[in-house]
Amino acid sequence: MQETELHDLSDDADYAASQQHGSASITRSDSSKRSSSSEPEGAEIVYLKDNVTIHPTQFASERISGRLKLIKQGPSLFMTWIPYKGQNSNAKLSERDRNLYTIRAVPFTDVRSIRRHTPTLGWQYIIVVLSSGLAFPPLYFYNGGVREFLATVKQHVFLVRSAEDANVFLVNDFQDRLQRTLSSLELPRAVSVANGTPTSISVSESPNGNQERTDEGFYDGSSSTSQYNGRQKQKLHDPARDPLIHVLEKFSLVTKFARETTSQLFRESHGDGFSANGRRIHNQSSLDYPRKASDEPQKVPDEIPQKVPDEIPVPSDPCEKTSCRNQNHGEEAATNVGSFELIDCKEFGKLTVWGKPRLPPLGLEEWATFLDSEGRVMDSKALRKRIFYGGVEHRLRKEIWAFLLGYHSYDSTYAEREYRGSLKKSEYETVKHQWQSITPDQAKRFTKFRERKGLIEKDVVRTDRSLSFYDGDDNSNVNLLRDILLTYSFYNFDLGYCQGMSDLLSPILFVMKDESESFWCFVALMERLGPNFNRDQNGMHSQLFAISKLVELLDSPLHNYFKQNDSLNYFFCFRWVLIQFKREFEYEKTMRLWEVLWTHYLSEHLHLYVCVAILKRYRNKIMGEQMDFDTLLKFINELSGHIDLDAILKDAEALCICAGENGAASIPPGTPPSLPIENGSLYPQQDDDDVL
Amino acid sequence: MSYAYLFKYIIIGDTGVGKSCLLLQFTDKRFQPVHDLTIGVEFGARMITIDNKPIKLQIWDTAGQESFRSITRSYYRGAAGALLVYDITRRETFNHLASWLEDARQHANANMTIMLIGNKCDLAHRRAVSTEEGEQFAKEHGLIFMEASAKTAQNVEEAFISTAATIYKKIQEGVFDVSNESYGIKVGYGGIPGPSGGRDGSVSQAGGCCN
Repeated sequence: MQETELHDLSDDADYAASQQHGSASITRSDSSKRSSSSEPEGAEIVYLKDNVTIHPTQFASERISGRLKLIKQGPSLFMTWIPYKGQNSNAKLSERDRNLYTIRAVPFTDVRSIRRHTPTLGWQYIIVVLSSGLAFPPLYFYNGGVREFLATVKQHVFLVRSAEDANVFLVNDFQDRLQRTLSSLELPRAVSVANGTPTSISVSESPNGNQERTDEGFYDGSSSTSQYNGRQKQKLHDPARDPLIHVLEKFSLVTKFARETTSQLFRESHGDGFSANGRRIHNQSSLDYPRKASDEPQKVPDEIPQKVPDEIPVPSDPCEKTSCRNQNHGEEAATNVGSFELIDCKEFGKLTVWGKPRLPPLGLEEWATFLDSEGRVMDSKALRKRIFYGGVEHRLRKEIWAFLLGYHSYDSTYAEREYRGSLKKSEYETVKHQWQSITPDQAKRFTKFRERKGLIEKDVVRTDRSLSFYDGDDNSNVNLLRDILLTYSFYNFDLGYCQGMSDLLSPILFVMKDESESFWCFVALMERLGPNFNRDQNGMHSQLFAISKLVELLDSPLHNYFKQNDSLNYFFCFRWVLIQFKREFEYEKTMRLWEVLWTHYLSEHLHLYVCVAILKRYRNKIMGEQMDFDTLLKFINELSGHIDLDAILKDAEALCICAGENGAASIPPGTPPSLPIENGSLYPQQDDDDVL
Repeated sequence: MSYAYLFKYIIIGDTGVGKSCLLLQFTDKRFQPVHDLTIGVEFGARMITIDNKPIKLQIWDTAGQESFRSITRSYYRGAAGALLVYDITRRETFNHLASWLEDARQHANANMTIMLIGNKCDLAHRRAVSTEEGEQFAKEHGLIFMEASAKTAQNVEEAFISTAATIYKKIQEGVFDVSNESYGIKVGYGGIPGPSGGRDGSVSQAGGCCN
């Protein structure tokens, strides 16, 4: 890799921004300069519709309008949806937020189905579902044109109406299995790993001409095709490149020296092995296991033996290299990212200690120093930071969780909290009375109530019964779980009850002991995690999507591996996310993790970085053993009870800092546990001649 | 452990019908009344023998609640067998069978063998679905049927094994291309005749089915 290349790309904010988009997204450079003429040569626009809009939130002011196009290039059809720049009337979302939803040249070979919605009131919309299982947000056709859209698609790709649902159109359905078989036969896996670089530039090198991949890359020509041609090979063989660029881009003060060293690093990594997978697959005896070549100590989990077959080359972890950068230029990085004391290891290449050492839990005496004489928390940020690094002693949890969860405000006094507690208690009793007063006769005519009650009763007796707090017949705490959940399902009738909630409530009740306090703390938690339990699972999907973006950012070889193995839906992280790792750690550890997450100290979304940290810890095993989706799911499930919490928290902290703004930008606004987006947020509006 | 074949099973059905208990009874031969509810998916495995061949069953036990259906669907991929479970004491779990079946048909491989299980048959005094209704449903939809009890272990072994026997028979009949793992079958190192070998269909079936 040449230094000049690093220069011009790392300085190009648009380039960097474009890297954040979906696996199917293709780089398109500065659209303000290129506007509509950015289609590559030989491409034909076969469909164009303006005012096709995404509704990221319920607020009308945050809708994002754009232009939907179908583009024909050779035998392939692509879909793009580009938001208008600087929408003058309703631009409440930043450019970055809008860009997050941009659909850049998705080939229809990646599309599984299109669902059409034609509500009697309101706009028609479609939902495009990718083969990976991920779906784009609904595209609302403000100017109509859904039928024409589908007709156009049908002219160019094989489109059939689903037998089950007349509004579902399956794309390329007939060849799905055949396609998969072909690609697994013809493409040596390691080539694919390298090819699959999410932002891949034309990959015409593959000898058998894998049509899908080749086509994917065409659009990139917009940022100067000829320039790229010369580098193709390097791009292709350098999956670790993109995350580095991100980090460099973020650390705007990175010096020329740093860049030189970085590009040096990457030249070295070329020689080290992973870059040459494609060619070496035919000559396995010459393979160096990439990790062996470096001095980097491997993170080997204690509990699970990590056995990697020698013959499988595993692309090395780009983050370990970027972390070298951070550490070597720690001071610079620290000033840019914020005031983190994490980066204290100056020795190049020493990567065992990333995050700050964990502290002992906050104890009684220290806790007292955070409070003024009337019981206010004087410096809530300092408190949250302290808890972030060590958690709290169990006896303090009852008091402190109420703050962390937002049940009590930090600036309330002892007296105010006591008073509020009594008010809230009677409010709780009022809601509870609503279902308690339902007579058996009334219940007979109240199916929804009966179903909910039945479900809750079935589930509370299947929640943490091995703990003495919840064990035994007719345990009063189990009854409390039931009462609180049932009351919650009346308090938030729209959401109701869903499995997983009892897992979230159990530790809260265990800590608070008090029924009303537990209820209100649970309410506060559900303000943030409620979308996890939405019927349409949108909260879960947005988090899994964000994980995939973060892995793409922080470990693109691993991302490519998942892509290659049809695992980009990240369903294997489902349980982690749904109940905040409750089933992955023992009870005490879960409580520790939760209080750390609830500090929102570095990020509201630290839990997503925890996911990435765990995946990265086992990345070599996952890739080395060539786990497919099923194997991966089983493997991840069986990690339960074997994850070293402190080590993972340190990694997650480091990854969060490493990802910085690019990480934050990978997480769509409103993704749980963020509170729903507030209407008042103001972002600068930009004028642009692309506005219609 | 070496096996001739590995079959992937999936257990589906409404929440609380006893899916996890059936699995535990089959893999560990015990009944655990207090069992944490399933979030996402759990796994179990056991070796069985059919036609003197060691066969490994890898069983995916899924969460039953409606909200998780979109996730559950992704587990169907590559399952060779499915146990569709309802609770004979709760009518609604029987009423929902059609929608489960629809999911299975839509997301699983067309040759997947489906066994319908009416669980909790030890609670006959609280029965809300008759055996005949179960049989009728199975017949209409081409499923194998059994009533079982995860608590007493009645028919549990049989349910898993006769499903395997059916799959094994299909292999013998050449229905599957066993080299294609999307059928939910993996060929192991336990020494097996190919699909062409031994077409006599003689399958040592432990326990019959009521079909």
